[in-house]
Amino acid sequence: MNLTRHMRRASAAAAAALALTTTMAACGSDSSDSASADGGKTTATIGVLYVGPHTDYGYNQAAYEGIQELKKEMPDVKVLEAENVPETAEASRVMEKMIKDGATVIIPTSYGHYQPAVEVAAKHPDVIFLHQGGPKAIKPNLGTYFGQIYEAQYLTGMAAGLSTKSNKLGYVVAFPIPQTLLNINAFELGAKSVNPKVKTNVVFTANWCDPAKQTEATKSLLDQGADVISQHQDCTKTVVETTERAGAMSVGYHADASSLAPKGWLTGSVWNWGPLYTKMVKAALSGDFASSPYAGVYRVGIEDPTIALAPFGKAVSADTKAKVEAAEAKMRSGELKAFTGPIKNQAGKVVIPAGESPDAASLEATDYLVEGVVGNIPQS
Amino acid sequence: MTATTPTAPSASPPPILALAKRHAAWLGPTIAVVIILGSLPFFGISLPDVLIRCCPLLLTALAVTIPARTGLVNVGGEGQFFLGALGAAVVASGLSESTPSLVAIVLIALGGMVFGALWAGLAALLKVASGVNETISTLLLNYVAALIVAYAVTGPLQDPEAANFPIGAPIPDSARLPLIGDVHVGVIVALVCAVGVSWLLARTRWGFKARAAGGNPIAALRGGLPVASLIVGALLLGGLLAGLGGALEVMGPDGRLRQGLGVGFGFLGFLASWLALHRPGWVVASVVLIASISVGGDSLQIDLSLPATSVYVVTATVLLVVLGWRGNRTGEQS
Repeated sequence: MNLTRHMRRASAAAAAALALTTTMAACGSDSSDSASADGGKTTATIGVLYVGPHTDYGYNQAAYEGIQELKKEMPDVKVLEAENVPETAEASRVMEKMIKDGATVIIPTSYGHYQPAVEVAAKHPDVIFLHQGGPKAIKPNLGTYFGQIYEAQYLTGMAAGLSTKSNKLGYVVAFPIPQTLLNINAFELGAKSVNPKVKTNVVFTANWCDPAKQTEATKSLLDQGADVISQHQDCTKTVVETTERAGAMSVGYHADASSLAPKGWLTGSVWNWGPLYTKMVKAALSGDFASSPYAGVYRVGIEDPTIALAPFGKAVSADTKAKVEAAEAKMRSGELKAFTGPIKNQAGKVVIPAGESPDAASLEATDYLVEGVVGNIPQS
Repeated sequence: MTATTPTAPSASPPPILALAKRHAAWLGPTIAVVIILGSLPFFGISLPDVLIRCCPLLLTALAVTIPARTGLVNVGGEGQFFLGALGAAVVASGLSESTPSLVAIVLIALGGMVFGALWAGLAALLKVASGVNETISTLLLNYVAALIVAYAVTGPLQDPEAANFPIGAPIPDSARLPLIGDVHVGVIVALVCAVGVSWLLARTRWGFKARAAGGNPIAALRGGLPVASLIVGALLLGGLLAGLGGALEVMGPDGRLRQGLGVGFGFLGFLASWLALHRPGWVVASVVLIASISVGGDSLQIDLSLPATSVYVVTATVLLVVLGWRGNRTGEQS
């Protein structure tokens, strides 16, 4: 009785001490604000928002690593970072806070940060916004950049098409937006270019990162007989691990997750944002953002270092590797395009006429899945 | 006047003391709120942001308070808040720019309250009709609510300009809540609700019966109180408040229905009400504290480069402190 009372007192005291420590740490913030991490002079401040954690083996990790590279390239720039920022008014609040802290360039890295960024951009015409993956740029101080990563997905599709035994590939997708539909289509087209019998089954999870749904989706695809699983999710860990555990093969996305699938890893499309981030921030800080290519809608293709293939895994044969690398070289030189007609949609209707290769802008209006993809776009 | 009159019950105390005595339930919390809000600049936390965050949290907290005083555990603030946001978006989709501002705002708020109340009413019905534990039913209904909202923003309420991205269409500008400085008027609405709940529980016949039913349901039943209708009423009121919170969030900061809108607000409100032992005045104070911590989480990340999850550590620490302190007190009493 007496003992429990003492324990209660002790636990309360311990908790209070912990709270106090944290609070004091927070108080210290003001004093450390003025100097940058390495003690050098800060010439500018930028703010970066991530929608998830920087350890997701995916979208946010890729963006985070790009920013770390930028920090090395531009040591005099102070970088404010916030992760787990939801795609709601929360994002506006975080951006406002960064601007209050002195940020003159804001990089909201998630698709759904677009709307909040547009709203904050309207209020702060002096701040430059570089949004990742947005559909359009309707403010003079807001540009949106992205890479045509579907070109890399065409190549990983080839690796999958050459490696599959069941001729069934699986694809775990978040939302049916043009960006994801393009990736699925390119994946199936790449696979079909080397293996005419191959089909891609898709499952939409309606979430960028929900491990429970990802596990379900992956298992259902494996049950349908798919032996290679690719994905368009922000966090890729769960899908890759579930696939590996089932003894199937993985094609990664966003970031290199080969360490999670030592046996089944094929390759993956990955981002190498560092150089582009650095170029864009330099342009934004130069004072003449409007005349740089990054004001407006900016896209890079596979010829740019921003998009790369992850290292090949053990499951890839030497022959497959050679074929994919040859296609990659052709693509970089512009000889090979991911989308060259005739391409039919699921209903068998020609959507890209024979001989035509639409440009990036018209491809971004994609609202269909190509022939060979099994599964429906959730209808609204 | 000499000091030789120790206690004179007949003599009326100075007016200021009378006022303090009359509003004793609000004096402590008011001081606490002033201290917390006053210390915000010291921590570099933005006052308007904290006030804006208080609005949904206060309403989801009050959604726990009323049922709790009636002896019920409402863990469904999350779902009721979500359904309220959905109700708001449904009503807003039927309005146009030409609807007068006040009419639009009132209609949308009513939509949110009705949806939120019905969602909690479902749990109340299950409880009264077949004795399903409301802790379980309200919790599980949260997941259903999230799925319904997911359906709405990928289907009937989706923004046609969003290229298949699951967000709702923006509500008319005339339906956005007016601002006082940087803070929308919903914050005042929430505060009025807190005072109203305090009055309802302490000063009305219904409040007395509800508290009696919460204190000892068997005795209340034997005493002839309509316990079943009190249960339904308490949960409906709770759902109504949480639903209003959802509607205010749609009309306030967000301007549209989104899948991730206010995720966690229901649970933070639950925490706030329990921290305050369901006393409305203290609920306001604990909401202000929790709102400050969750907004201050940005500073932890942005200014101190601490991990995003550190804010959860702080919130849990506050909970532990209060539990430890309470455990200590009850330990002394027994």
